[in-house]
Amino acid sequence: MSSLLELREKLRDIYSKGEVYLTPLFKFILALVSLLAINGNIGYMDRISGNIIIPLIVALMCSFMPMNFIVLFGAVFTCLNAYAISMECGIVALAVFLLMFILYFRFSARDTIVVALLPLMFMLKIPYIIPIAVGLLCTPLSVVSVACGTVAYYMVLFFKENAQTIIDLDTEEAVGKFRFVIDGLIGNQEMLVVLIAFSVIVVIVYVIRRLSIEHAWTIAICVGGVVGTTILLIGDLSFDTHISLLALILGMIVSLLLAVVLQFFAFNVDYSRTEYVQFEDDEYYYYVKAVPKNSVPQAKVKVRKIH
Amino acid sequence: MINQDRLRLMTKMAAYEAGEGQKNMAIASYFRSDYMGFQIIKSVICATIAYAILFGLFIYYDLENFMQDIYKMDLMSFGRSVLLYYVIFVTGYSIICYIVYSIRYYKAKTSLKKYYNRLKQLSAMYDLEKKKG
Repeated sequence: MSSLLELREKLRDIYSKGEVYLTPLFKFILALVSLLAINGNIGYMDRISGNIIIPLIVALMCSFMPMNFIVLFGAVFTCLNAYAISMECGIVALAVFLLMFILYFRFSARDTIVVALLPLMFMLKIPYIIPIAVGLLCTPLSVVSVACGTVAYYMVLFFKENAQTIIDLDTEEAVGKFRFVIDGLIGNQEMLVVLIAFSVIVVIVYVIRRLSIEHAWTIAICVGGVVGTTILLIGDLSFDTHISLLALILGMIVSLLLAVVLQFFAFNVDYSRTEYVQFEDDEYYYYVKAVPKNSVPQAKVKVRKIH
Repeated sequence: MINQDRLRLMTKMAAYEAGEGQKNMAIASYFRSDYMGFQIIKSVICATIAYAILFGLFIYYDLENFMQDIYKMDLMSFGRSVLLYYVIFVTGYSIICYIVYSIRYYKAKTSLKKYYNRLKQLSAMYDLEKKKG
C-alpha cells in the first residue's frame, strides 16, 4: 500500500511540474483518437477521412486550444461525415449539436469533455466509468453532459449501422429519409434505457459520496454500479433492447475497478500545479514560481497505556 | 529587505488574479441586476434559436401532412399554440438560467470578498512598515 502511495505522490509531482507539457499531449491524444474514431465509424467524406493528415493537423491545433475545441471539432467532423451520407443526416447531426451547445454548453463549458470521452468509452465497452466518474468528481448538473454524450454516441452508431440504407433510399424522398433518421434516433429504446441508467448513476454516486460516512466514495461506486446494472437489465426486459448481458456485467466490473483506481488518485488529493506570477511594489519587481508542496502523510501515533 | 509574509500574501493574490480572479472580477464588475438581466437576455436569444431549430425539425418531419392541411387548418389557432409553446419553453429555460447565474454571481462575490480582505491585510502590512520605518 505504501508503494502505491509513493507512486501516487510521484505521479502528482510529475503532473504538477510537467503540467505545461502533459496537458497539451493529453489533449492531442484525445483529439486524435476521437477524430480517428469518428472517421473509422462514419468516414464517408473522403476529404477529411481519406487520410490521416487532416485529423493530425486538427488534433495538433486542439492541443493548444481549450479542451472544448476537441468536442467542437468532433461535432464538425460528425456533421460533415453525416452530410456525406445524406443531407438529411447532416441536418439532423447539426441540429443535435447546435441544441447541445446553445442550450447547455454555453454555461457549463467545463463538462463538454464528457461528450468526447463517453463515445470512446462506449467503443471500449466500458461506458459505465463515465457516469460514475462524473458523479464522483462533478455536480448533479453534469447529468446533462452525460446525456449529451450518450445521444452523440447513439447518433453516430445509427449513422454507421444505417448509412447504406439511407444512401439507397430514393433521392427524391428527402422527407422520407429525414423521417427515417429522426425515428431512428428518437425511437431508439436502448438509448433511452442507457440515458435513464446513466442519469440515475450520476445522481446516486454524487449523493452517496457527499455523505459524512466512512468509505463514502467506495460505497458510492458500488451502489452506482449495482443500480446502473439493475436499471439496464430491467430496461432490457421491458423494452427488449438486446443488451448483451455478458458485455454489461464485464463492462460494469471493469468500470468499477477503474473507478476505484480513480478514487485512489482523486480522493483528497490536491493537484495544484506550479504557478508563475509576477507583480511589483515600491521597492522590487517580483517574479515568483510557486511550486506546490507534496503532502507527506503524517504517521499515526497510537498511545497505549500499560498499567 | 523583503518581507516574506507580505511576499506570500502578494503571491497568493497574484495567483488568484491570474486565474479564477479574472473571471470573478468580470462577473462582479456588474451590479447584480445588470448581470442577471444581460444573462437572461442571452438565454432568451439562445432559447429562441433552439425553439426555431426544434420547430423547423418538427415541420420538416411532418411536411407532407402540413402542406396538405395548411389550407384547411385554423392558422390563428395554430399560431397561438406555437406561441404558447414558445413562451413556455423560453420561460422554463430562463428560470433555469436565472438560478444558475444567481449562484454563479453569489460565488464570485464571496470569492472576491476573500480577495479584498487579503488586500486590506496587505495595506495594513504596508502601513505598519511605514510606521516602523
